[in-house]
Amino acid sequence: MKYLLIVPALLIATPALAQSTSPSDLIQRYSAEAGRAADAGRGKSFFLANHGSGKPDTPSCTTCHTKNPRSAGKARTGKTIDPLAPSANGARLTDLAKVEKWFRRNCDSVLGRSCTAGEKADVVAWLASQ
Amino acid sequence: MVPERFAEDADRTGHIMLQKNTEQTREGQGLTVPVWDIWVRLFHWLLLACVATATVTGFFADATWLRLHIAGGLGAAGLVLARIVWGFTGPTHARFKDFFPRPSAVMEHLRGGGGRHRGHNPLGGAMVFAFFLAILFLAATGLAILGGAFKTGPLAFAFTFQSGHAMEEVHELIALALLVMIGLHVAGVVLESFRSRENLARGMVTGEKEWRADDHQPRIARPRGLAAAAAIAAVGAVLILANTGLSARPVPGMPVANLDPTYAQECGDCHTVYHPSLLPAASWRALMPRLADHFGENASLGPELTAELEAYLVAHAAETADTKAANRMARGLDAPPLAMTETPFWKHQHEDLAKALFASDAVGSASNCAACHLDAETGLFSPLSISIPKQETIR
Ligand code: HEC
Ligand code: HEC
Ligand code: HEC
Repeated sequence: MKYLLIVPALLIATPALAQSTSPSDLIQRYSAEAGRAADAGRGKSFFLANHGSGKPDTPSCTTCHTKNPRSAGKARTGKTIDPLAPSANGARLTDLAKVEKWFRRNCDSVLGRSCTAGEKADVVAWLASQ
Repeated sequence: MVPERFAEDADRTGHIMLQKNTEQTREGQGLTVPVWDIWVRLFHWLLLACVATATVTGFFADATWLRLHIAGGLGAAGLVLARIVWGFTGPTHARFKDFFPRPSAVMEHLRGGGGRHRGHNPLGGAMVFAFFLAILFLAATGLAILGGAFKTGPLAFAFTFQSGHAMEEVHELIALALLVMIGLHVAGVVLESFRSRENLARGMVTGEKEWRADDHQPRIARPRGLAAAAAIAAVGAVLILANTGLSARPVPGMPVANLDPTYAQECGDCHTVYHPSLLPAASWRALMPRLADHFGENASLGPELTAELEAYLVAHAAETADTKAANRMARGLDAPPLAMTETPFWKHQHEDLAKALFASDAVGSASNCAACHLDAETGLFSPLSISIPKQETIR
């Protein structure tokens, strides 16, 4: 009897645990929060720019991700980072908590502050367009 | 003309007698007798190769050569065990009773009496037994070190890092003694070659020596090849079984085997998942609250996750493991280190490696332990698992 209850419970719980999302969901979410449309061109220049306002070792997103989001990057420790563009790596931009965690960390490392919702929308739009 | 006694020797040992009509005939009328059978000769030169390998790798090479060092040492010990069997089953001069150094015989030999020994003379015989003892002790202490310091092999269950480490000094002392013995052995061979006007080393190659009328009379023995093969197979089987059984015993002080999946996921994005046993608890307690400023990067996690991971790291910190890394790298420091690469032990271990190697594409940085240590995630950091990325992948 118990199993009959556990199975539907699992079916309901799984999607919530994975917090699955998609690039278009993310763009929608962030641009709604920012109150403006996402702009892939702005996302590109943001991603490639040398900000230099964060921690000295990480002036730019490209420090670790390289200039091409379709190619693998490298952490400062030598560890390979899989490409960020969803076209090159289907797992990217599909987990809200993960995306949020890395924006929180990477924006602080590179800019010395949090990214705005608009900046996130732009970057995701650009990455998704690659 | 074959001297009667010689004919009898050759016949009873089952060897083919060789007669040479050389021009430089001396007192043996150019007659040679088989002395060292093929197995004794093979044993001698293979033992030399094994001991040389173990000596060179032991004294001069770094930890990445440990595998070859162990192969040399175990090879030598295996040869000695087989030779011990042959000492009871081989032909005349292979037998222990042919050269067992009875004190009276040694004294007589030292006084210059007892006749020329075609096999080992009593002093040489004493050296043979000393070699066997030294090599077997080296193998035993070596296995103790391998077990205690590296948590590997049949003695890992019985030795702690400390007791294994203590064995390292014994191992080294015996190795030095062995080197001295090898020096004495070579000097003895040279001296005796002059004294008896024959090339003893050549005898160990050809197996034959000149027959001389006043030779010490050996006690003739027939080789018993089948018995020897059976005994060696039995000894080998016992050793393999013992090794399998002992190696399967639980090893105390092993670092925690399975990394917590949350930890592996959260702390493995930017670098090797560092095993908790690589740093003391105090280091983890210092490192975790500062993740927002983590070696020049923001690696922050939510407060709950941070607390959960800190508890995990502290529970399996260096204090809980008996590995070399936990003992030498993480303990006994004045202040808790925030990085393994900052510890004196780490710096000392890696000082001979080129800076360019760490900066190479294949490695990237000193913190990328897993690039060279294939067992990094187990916390063991065994020298047997070091594989430095190949040169061609280095810029
Ligand atoms: C210090 C190195 C570093 C820098 C600088 C950096 N990142 Fe990252 N980033 C990472 C790592 C490591 C990951 C996680 C990689 C993984 O999951 O394999 C990551 C992940 C991400 C993700 C998550 C993708 C996903 O869904 O899996 C995004 C988005 C991202 N970075 C964007 C940025 C942006 C934008 C910048 C510049 C503001 C930036 N990163 C700068 C190292 C860096
Ligand atoms: C955002 C990337 C990032 C994340 C996530 C991260 N680290 Fe690090 N960590 C680094 C960098 C960069 C270094 C410095 C490497 C160097 O100096 O080459 C480092 C170094 C270390 C070191 C010292 C290594 C050494 O050189 O001996 C330890 C220990 C460490 N991290 C533990 C952790 C733990 C525990 C976590 C999970 C809570 C974690 N790290 C998560 C980026 C990260
Ligand atoms: C570029 C390759 C390389 C990297 C990267 C590297 N090591 Fe090593 N490590 C070696 C080599 C080679 C040795 C053996 C040195 C010797 O014996 O002279 C060694 C030895 C050691 C030993 C001693 C092993 C023993 O039992 O004798 C420890 C412990 C160790 N490394 C830990 C680490 C840790 C922790 C890291 C990461 C923070 C690391 N290493 C990164 C190459 C590397």
